[in-house]
Amino acid sequence: MEGRPTVGARVKQNETSTPAVCRLSGISKAFGATQALQDVSFEVRKGEFLALIGENGAGKSTTMGILFGLLDPDAGTVEIAGRPQAMRSARDAIAAGLGMVHQHFMLYPDLTVLENIIVGQEDTGRGGRIPLATHRARATEILRDFDFALDLDRKVADLPVDARQQVEIVKLLYRGASVVILDEPTAVLTPQESIALYRMLARLQAQGTSIVLITHKLDEVMDNADRILVMRRGKLVAERATAETNTAELAELMVGDRIEVVEKHSAAGADVVLSVANLTVQRQQGKPALRDVNFEVHAGEVFGIAGVSGNGQKELVNALVGLEGAQGAVRFAGRDILPLDVAARRALGLGYMAEDRMAMGLAQAGSVAENLIAGREGKSAFSTRGFLTKSRIRKFSRDLIDRFDIRTPSDRQTVAKLSGGNQQKIVVARELSARPQLLVVENPCWGVDVGAITFIHKQILELAATGCAVVLVSSDLEELFALSDRVGVLCDGALNAIFPRDGLDAIAVGAAMTGGREGVPA
Amino acid sequence: MFFDSALMDSIPRLFTPVLLAAIGSALCERVNVFNIALEGMMLIGAFFAVVGTYYTGNALAGLGVAMVAGALSGLVFAYFGVTRGGDHIIVSIGFNVLAIGLTAFLLGQIFGVSGQFDDPRIVQLPRIDLGPVADIPLLGDFLSGQSILVWFAVIMVFVVHWFLKNHKYGLRLRAAGQNDAAMRTVGVSPEALKTSALITCGTLCAMGGAQLSISNVTLYTDGMSAGRGWIALVIVMMCNARLLWVLPTALLFGLVDAFGFRMQGLGLPQQLTESVPYVLAIVVLMLVFRNRRARLAR
Amino acid sequence: MTRTLRKVALPIGVVALGLVLLLAFAPTREAVLAFLNGAFGGRNNFNLYSTLSRFAILLGVAMSVLVSFRAGLLNIGAEGQLVLGGLTAAMIGVYLPAPPLVVTVSALLGAMVVAALWAMLAGLIERATNVPLLIGSLLLNYPAVYLASYFVSHPFRDVNSGATQSFRILREAGLPRFTGTILDYGIVLIGITALVVIVLERTSVFGYRVRMQGYSVGFARASGFPTRRLYYRTLMISGAIAGMTGFVAVFGMNQRFIDGMLTAPLYAWTGIAAVLMAAIIPWVTPITAFFFAALATGAIGMERSVGIPREVGQIIQAIIVLYLSGVAGKMLSGRDGKGR
Repeated sequence: MEGRPTVGARVKQNETSTPAVCRLSGISKAFGATQALQDVSFEVRKGEFLALIGENGAGKSTTMGILFGLLDPDAGTVEIAGRPQAMRSARDAIAAGLGMVHQHFMLYPDLTVLENIIVGQEDTGRGGRIPLATHRARATEILRDFDFALDLDRKVADLPVDARQQVEIVKLLYRGASVVILDEPTAVLTPQESIALYRMLARLQAQGTSIVLITHKLDEVMDNADRILVMRRGKLVAERATAETNTAELAELMVGDRIEVVEKHSAAGADVVLSVANLTVQRQQGKPALRDVNFEVHAGEVFGIAGVSGNGQKELVNALVGLEGAQGAVRFAGRDILPLDVAARRALGLGYMAEDRMAMGLAQAGSVAENLIAGREGKSAFSTRGFLTKSRIRKFSRDLIDRFDIRTPSDRQTVAKLSGGNQQKIVVARELSARPQLLVVENPCWGVDVGAITFIHKQILELAATGCAVVLVSSDLEELFALSDRVGVLCDGALNAIFPRDGLDAIAVGAAMTGGREGVPA
Repeated sequence: MFFDSALMDSIPRLFTPVLLAAIGSALCERVNVFNIALEGMMLIGAFFAVVGTYYTGNALAGLGVAMVAGALSGLVFAYFGVTRGGDHIIVSIGFNVLAIGLTAFLLGQIFGVSGQFDDPRIVQLPRIDLGPVADIPLLGDFLSGQSILVWFAVIMVFVVHWFLKNHKYGLRLRAAGQNDAAMRTVGVSPEALKTSALITCGTLCAMGGAQLSISNVTLYTDGMSAGRGWIALVIVMMCNARLLWVLPTALLFGLVDAFGFRMQGLGLPQQLTESVPYVLAIVVLMLVFRNRRARLAR
Repeated sequence: MTRTLRKVALPIGVVALGLVLLLAFAPTREAVLAFLNGAFGGRNNFNLYSTLSRFAILLGVAMSVLVSFRAGLLNIGAEGQLVLGGLTAAMIGVYLPAPPLVVTVSALLGAMVVAALWAMLAGLIERATNVPLLIGSLLLNYPAVYLASYFVSHPFRDVNSGATQSFRILREAGLPRFTGTILDYGIVLIGITALVVIVLERTSVFGYRVRMQGYSVGFARASGFPTRRLYYRTLMISGAIAGMTGFVAVFGMNQRFIDGMLTAPLYAWTGIAAVLMAAIIPWVTPITAFFFAALATGAIGMERSVGIPREVGQIIQAIIVLYLSGVAGKMLSGRDGKGR
């Protein structure tokens, strides 16, 4: 077997001579008023490693959704091996030899690895009995050929994440996939696991499988891909052979001539508002989810938290807000707030914008007004002797609806009926109108339209300008860079590095996110 | 003597209805259908077993009628809970009330009585005599002379267990409850799997009901399922739907039931002995769920 | 208002369907008249009063269920709470050697406290051991019902009567009746309770928090509501209302505890049906509870006059619940998955 000795030191193939296994031509797709894809055309060649890069919302996932039969294009065609093919469902795509490793694994946790591999194509003989021995032999062969170390009889629920990802890949190979599409495969992996993944993909490639990688991690692309497609705002803007480009160029192509949407003036003062010392959150099993985290946030400062998702961000937020127990100390408003519950912390001036709007940030079945007063319903502004004062609530809500430009027919409208952007504006309005001294924000712009993003960013910066300390947790580096005075990087539960605003650099932050310590030491 | 032949004879009779319903419930649990209408499905089975037996004079035909009625019950649940996507708890509540109303209604319409129906034409399901085994003290009473449903139920545990492990549709049933999206990507309909599990569950529950009305006794009484459907549900919850555990757990509850009857014979009031299985169910559930969480925490 | 109306539009459509079904079973003018007479007529409006008596109990149970469901708590133990309330009231009513007023008040309070504790027991079990409230509250029904049955058939049975029932409560302690009718003042007690629940749910901070928690527990936690306290308080209020209803049933119409008086008419399940049909909206619940009360007594009237069995009422009720399972299910938010 032709393996490759080390990551990134591979002989690149000659791209033009190999035939296309699938081709997309003139694909367009709109969701409502937003044009997600516009006239996208490209091909995947046999045995190549193709990378599709772009920022969040550039249209990468939509493209793959169309290729994989999960979405219908408004215009354009998909060809497999030279023949047009209508992808009506994922089943068609699988039959055509495409296989996709989704970010959310398509696995059955309580079944064994072998069972996961064969569901849906059990090849039964008489009476529907599954020829388990035959399947086992075939699966073992694939494991051996591609050098996977998987126990076919383990339950998937008992496997670590990287092994689950391998199960997904083996499943595709078992189905005879000739094109393997991976959507941000390393988002859930550690650096070592990522290296192992790319080694394995190289082995697949060596045996003739085409690999399509969707990602925004430029280093991984440079190290592994043969050819790179760059997407920006729904369009394919560039195609490069890896040998002829570099990360700087790719970054520029991805971001384009972007207009700086918000202008950041640092408002950071000298007073320490929040001081986190030796914060540790234990998990039910295994190593702590958060270990010995230390940082301070000053008045008027926006402190960003970067990191690959699942590296302790959730636990940090929960510990700051009071939704989860933790050890160490969190000093705010002159005292250690760790022993306090959410209500007491809010009373001290803590604001919290949860990432999960559906279940945490808002009561979807409640009205706009009901959602706007939450957390302050017991205050004299909204109630007297345990009874709500409707007139004041009404006035307050209408006021906020105007001020924060919440597009709603009335303050009695059910929140679930509003758009994502307007829903998030309700959260922003509620938290900001409480005039917090400390605001904890998690991915404030998930599922929010572009116009609302700018508005929300401005609001956060304006709040900081009044002296509020802001902790901003985001998986979007661009957002972090635009808003933060300093950015701390969480990796594997530890605060790996803290970068000052003028030292912010995507490469260095990226390295710190995946365990490197190239940035300024914390 | 406490462990006498009557006690041994009664254990299989008492645990069979619960075991049959539990097998059905475990199937529903596998496909992520929260069916708490076992109680109503058993009641339907008990009633239609009596109807079928009364009109044909043949208990096996009566059992067949009960099974058809049970399968239809499963279909009704599937229509509201799967096809129309209704909340399973609410569908179950509605179905249980429907079963109570419908059986009482039909009891009046068909037999012109209310509350209870008893007739010499209602005969008992065949029993299996094990010849020389019957002469073994205690064990003979336990094993021999039991209704065909007792043996059917025990065999079904192993058959269904094998089916889930080795059969194409068994594997799909196990997968269906866990990731519907993944099922659809490989072209398998989770709805069809759920519906078939419900129909099977309805049939099994109805057979459990038949054991109550045309084997343990030969009459029908309003509400004669008497909470056994809930016990079956609890057993499945305790065993995490693992069938090989369901069998001994159902046996335990059969034993408790049999002891209850025995205590009644010794003068303890019926109401107190009858509440024992429910108290036991709560206590065991508490222990099992507590341990389950402790295990996760470790 | 329009929002609410839209929510109840489907239930109302289903009610119409139910009535059509009923008429299909009863194609003759006589049957319709018999139904209406059974629900609202009778000599000296006797049947109307018996509908109202039934309505009082149903409304009480429905309000108890409503409080739990509104908070997203799947407490389906109303039956056990109702029965234990009734039993406690009967025991105090028969055996407490005190002046009538004291007996009445202690019976009311006793019934409420016992039922509230019984409801809270299911909650404690859930919180301490993870046994779902749905299962815990349901299983607790059986010991409660069997215990009551045991009490009135053995130690506290009225040995002079043939029936399994307790002795009569202190005569002067019973709830007075509206003059010239069989309807007692229990309906006033329960009516006021229902009114208080409806008003507080809308106007109080507590009601607001309960409602929000029912919509989403995560939201309630993130907003800093005292979720634990809300959980227990809601359960206890729910139980207390069921207990009060049991007291009314014993001190009102029957003046004693009769075995099966609270379980045979399926009050608890009908109460749940009424709440679901009202889409868990408080002010609609009395209307649906009245509908089910009239359905039951009307069906009895039909059975009496034209021989259409009364169970038709129950069947219609069940079909309504089945058809509502989709809509009402969405209202029952704030819980994980399918109740586990």
